[in-house]
Amino acid sequence: MRASAFRFPKTFLGFLPLYIAVEIVLGITILNKCSGAYGILAIFTGHPLDFMQGVSYLWSIFTLIVYAQGLYEIAKPTLLTFSQIFMFYSIDTIFTCFFTLWFTGVWFGVESAESSNADVNNNHSKRGADIASQGASQAYEYTITMFITWVSLIFRLYFNFILASYVKELLSNPKFMIDQDDVAQDLKNKKFYRRWWVKLQKNSYKLCRRLLV
Amino acid sequence: MAGFIHRWFLSERPINSKVSELETSWDPRVSLIKLQNYKLTTKDICHYGFLSSVLLFVFISFPAPWILKFLVYALFGLLFMIPITSQFFFNALPIFTWLALYFNSSFFPASNRPPITVKVLPAIETILYGDNLSDILATSTNSFYDILAWIPYGLFHFGAPFVVAAILFIFGPPTILQGYAFAFGYMNLFGVIMQNIFPAAPPWYKIMYGLNSANYGMHGSPGGLARIDKLLNINIYTKGFSNSSVIFGAFPSLHSGCATMEALFFSYCFPFLRPLFIGYVCWLWWSTMYLTHHYFVDLMAGSVLSYVIFMYTKYTHLPLVDTDLFCRWSYGSIDKFNMAKNNPLNNDPSDVENVPLNMMATSSTIGSELDDDDEDAGNSRSLSPTLFDLSNSSATSNTSLDLQGEATPRSVKPRFD
Repeated sequence: MRASAFRFPKTFLGFLPLYIAVEIVLGITILNKCSGAYGILAIFTGHPLDFMQGVSYLWSIFTLIVYAQGLYEIAKPTLLTFSQIFMFYSIDTIFTCFFTLWFTGVWFGVESAESSNADVNNNHSKRGADIASQGASQAYEYTITMFITWVSLIFRLYFNFILASYVKELLSNPKFMIDQDDVAQDLKNKKFYRRWWVKLQKNSYKLCRRLLV
Repeated sequence: MAGFIHRWFLSERPINSKVSELETSWDPRVSLIKLQNYKLTTKDICHYGFLSSVLLFVFISFPAPWILKFLVYALFGLLFMIPITSQFFFNALPIFTWLALYFNSSFFPASNRPPITVKVLPAIETILYGDNLSDILATSTNSFYDILAWIPYGLFHFGAPFVVAAILFIFGPPTILQGYAFAFGYMNLFGVIMQNIFPAAPPWYKIMYGLNSANYGMHGSPGGLARIDKLLNINIYTKGFSNSSVIFGAFPSLHSGCATMEALFFSYCFPFLRPLFIGYVCWLWWSTMYLTHHYFVDLMAGSVLSYVIFMYTKYTHLPLVDTDLFCRWSYGSIDKFNMAKNNPLNNDPSDVENVPLNMMATSSTIGSELDDDDEDAGNSRSLSPTLFDLSNSSATSNTSLDLQGEATPRSVKPRFD
């Protein structure tokens, strides 16, 4: 499906320019990606991580580096960098949805096991109805949990469209056009990981042009 | 002393510069004249209207004699009217509003309050971040970790806002303190409103009571700070947290919010020290979870709230920082951020490169340069951009990859942050 079929947002929440929106989006995402570092830190407390947690935390740390690069360049953006960020953000959105579903399953599995073992009524029988009503019901807690989860995912998708819109604007602006001679010249004397990184950026750029132009 | 101050701070002051001058008058008529000449904007109406409504709510609902409440409000009114005090107190109105609402929170009748959630935060933490990170980081404890966690959470947190304000006032550009008071006050105010609308039990509650439902009659707990009280033979934290105004105020974490706000303002003023400030925030995040006061999701909510409010403040209130200048008295003028002018996507119509691509005959070939390149960088084939007829050399192109990283786009005014 071509990008022309979509109407990308021209502003953030109807009033902020796209470049400020991208700064906000990347900042919020970077903050959330810090969970990876604390997840890995958990290993040092002797807590075992399962495979999905390990993958999730390592991916978070990797994407944090990519997004930090974008936040650093926000005042003077380059098309290669932001193409790469957009592609990673899109992949990350898919991963986030998958991890969220997976961990939701894990949580509700643990929760149902705990609630079947616990004597739920024991707590309320000792108090008056007035005091008991100050604590949230199970249905209320589940509703709020699902609401927050859905809101975070919806915002995530909206942020993805904001980034897509920004990259689309960069692609259509001649000021940010890429000169291949310079890309080649730039890479000749660079270390292998730097060459690999720029090659990744170039592939992201090509993909962005196919998707967004 | 005067010579030292003059040598260090006032010697760089530009001639005839008045931007850094402070108001020294005690005459309330000066404030009244300013007030008469002041033109209210829609933004001002929203700002003062919102703060006034919160203060009015506190005035009505706070359980104290009416005469006492009236005297306190009158005292603040007087401080706002006297120019020498007004310049500090009036700009701190969001902070005073937050403090008023915070200390009023414990007096709300339980029957009118929302139900307290116990399972939501650990559930959200597992769903969004894969595990109960706060629980895991609080499992292995020792005295060294206790002290390490206590320093940012129990000490720095309470003193940092004043230290940051003082440093920003002296070494930041003039009017930055107004922006800091605005952002810091609103962040805490929104945080307390959220804590009252969505009361949630912190991790120490889960440790003490499990996932059983909570009630407003319960006392707070110092969590891991009880170990500090025991270690130092004091009772400050046990007493303070047990009688906290907002016991079920886990979400969002205002410890995290304050640390993030301080780090953002310092990073804005002193960008070369940014890693240090990021380190401080990460340290405080760890200590908050280690001391069982917040879940990771609370920390994120506090930091995101701070970041969003800072971004709004940065683009609407804050002066631009010149890192070459030493202190507030070195500034000759104050420049504010211009959203439109600083937009990197904006085109300069006089620039030959800024003709929209869809109007050009060559638009189909532009961007195809990279499509043919799947080999290694060393032996890549290339197309010179047809947009430029100057020469085949890429060195003539202003849009080269190397230059993009260095040169400021022509339509963009240089920034100092």
